[in-house]
Amino acid sequence: MNHNIFLKPLMYLDPGSGSFIIQMLLAGVLGIAVAVRIYWKKIIAFFKRNKTGNIQDQVDEMDEYGEHEVDQPDEKM
Amino acid sequence: MIDAQKQLGSFRDPSGFLFYKNGSLYRQVNLVYQKHFDWLMDSGLYENLVAQNLLVSHEEVTPIDFQQPQFANKTIQPEVVDFISYPYEWTFHQLRSAALTTLRIARIALEHGMILKDASAYNLQFHRGHWTLIDTLSFEIYKEGEPWIAYRQFCQHFLAPLALMAYRDTRMGLSSRLFIDGIPLDLAASLLPFRSKLQLGLLTHIHLHSRSQKQYADKAQFAAKGKGEFSRKDLVNLFESLRNSVKSLSMPVPKTEWAHYYEDTNYSETAFEEKKNAVREFIEQVNPNSVWDLGANTGQFSRLASEKGIFTVAFDVDPGAVSQNYFRVRKEREERLLPLVMDLTNPSPGLGWGHQERQSMIDRGPVDLVLALALVHHLAISNNVPLGKISKFLKKISHHLIIEFVPKSDSQVQRLLRSRKDIFENYTVEGFEEAFGYDYDIIQKRSITGSDRTLYLMKAIGQ
Repeated sequence: MNHNIFLKPLMYLDPGSGSFIIQMLLAGVLGIAVAVRIYWKKIIAFFKRNKTGNIQDQVDEMDEYGEHEVDQPDEKM
Repeated sequence: MIDAQKQLGSFRDPSGFLFYKNGSLYRQVNLVYQKHFDWLMDSGLYENLVAQNLLVSHEEVTPIDFQQPQFANKTIQPEVVDFISYPYEWTFHQLRSAALTTLRIARIALEHGMILKDASAYNLQFHRGHWTLIDTLSFEIYKEGEPWIAYRQFCQHFLAPLALMAYRDTRMGLSSRLFIDGIPLDLAASLLPFRSKLQLGLLTHIHLHSRSQKQYADKAQFAAKGKGEFSRKDLVNLFESLRNSVKSLSMPVPKTEWAHYYEDTNYSETAFEEKKNAVREFIEQVNPNSVWDLGANTGQFSRLASEKGIFTVAFDVDPGAVSQNYFRVRKEREERLLPLVMDLTNPSPGLGWGHQERQSMIDRGPVDLVLALALVHHLAISNNVPLGKISKFLKKISHHLIIEFVPKSDSQVQRLLRSRKDIFENYTVEGFEEAFGYDYDIIQKRSITGSDRTLYLMKAIGQ
């Protein structure tokens, strides 16, 4: 593991290659994970009451979709 | 001549760089970036992002003082951001917002045929109540088949510190100060607890990602060849997966309300109102362009300035208070208030190349007016900083100062003294006025009825 550091000149190691390769390996797999999650969330939503009071959810919505689509937040923080 | 202060943190990008001239900020766009820049402007992406406050607007101006003119293409003048803040000054909730905004920008860019080539947290600023990308040169024409070039940067700048804060401790956010290009993933992987591996997003984007970096660190030629296609759909899924990973990380939203804090202090309701009125009056008297509120808590006094349209930074050492302030800013859609985490006993230093890529707190000043309310006793008594040193520091960052002196008779100070020896002989109104007298002229002085505290309006000498 870490003993490699002493065997190889650290400054010539490039972490970029690994970041490319992992994406190649993940290609396709991520699609499945994302799809599973969508269905899972639908199942959860079916059993859960729609809650909109949470300030974190409101801010998430602003960050992800912009402010115009957000309802006026309620009074409770 | 271009100012010596040019470029700041932008010198690494061959596409262009920032520079100051005669006090204005410009960005040179280089020839190598021309076709990408044209695409940004012609594809409707620029318009779309600016309309949603996701990118700073700019105007093309007559080229000024091209540096290395053989490479230069044009000069643009970007909209000025009031205050540049850094990820180690943001709370978990602020960094999380910046991360989600970055992914949103990446998604929109892809819809316009461009890829976000930088996912640096430093490229986002909380500007006029919105997280906004300030680097106009962050986009490149998308070539289908290639993975996301900014994937590693996104994981290092956003996912790793967010995960460390959520799984370990909110103070891990400060570790961004140590690494100019985000938290190295092998470090994040070794610091995160085992249960973080049960989170699919963290397992892939941090743990496996880090292992892949280690595995292929000396095999660049392998990556260059590539071994398949990374389709547009894969890219969309990657953004979605990162988004899910960010959203799976949460920290409790601080609940403490103002009332609780002030029940604890030495102020009756009327005295508190009196203090507010006095501060309001002093602010009007100074009529500042911008204000820094030091020890702002959740920003109640900061709002006396920001609600008048004065740009105000609300610094506090407590991330809980800063997050609470931040949520309020978002909820009320306030545009002139910027809450930040800052430990005044160890403020942000100058970082990076030549100490100049990220500016120190002092270098980002001075401002017209600093508020230092209910602060001096924390610095002088809890942290043993002599009054004269406090005054010298404040003079470096302010032209005017509204400061509250909290004497030893105050129960808050008594509380601080309970656990330490009283070695603070000069900590009296007279000692305070004498120490500050070297740096400031006292313009006004007001005792707050019903408390032992005194409020001062001061003006820095020689400014």
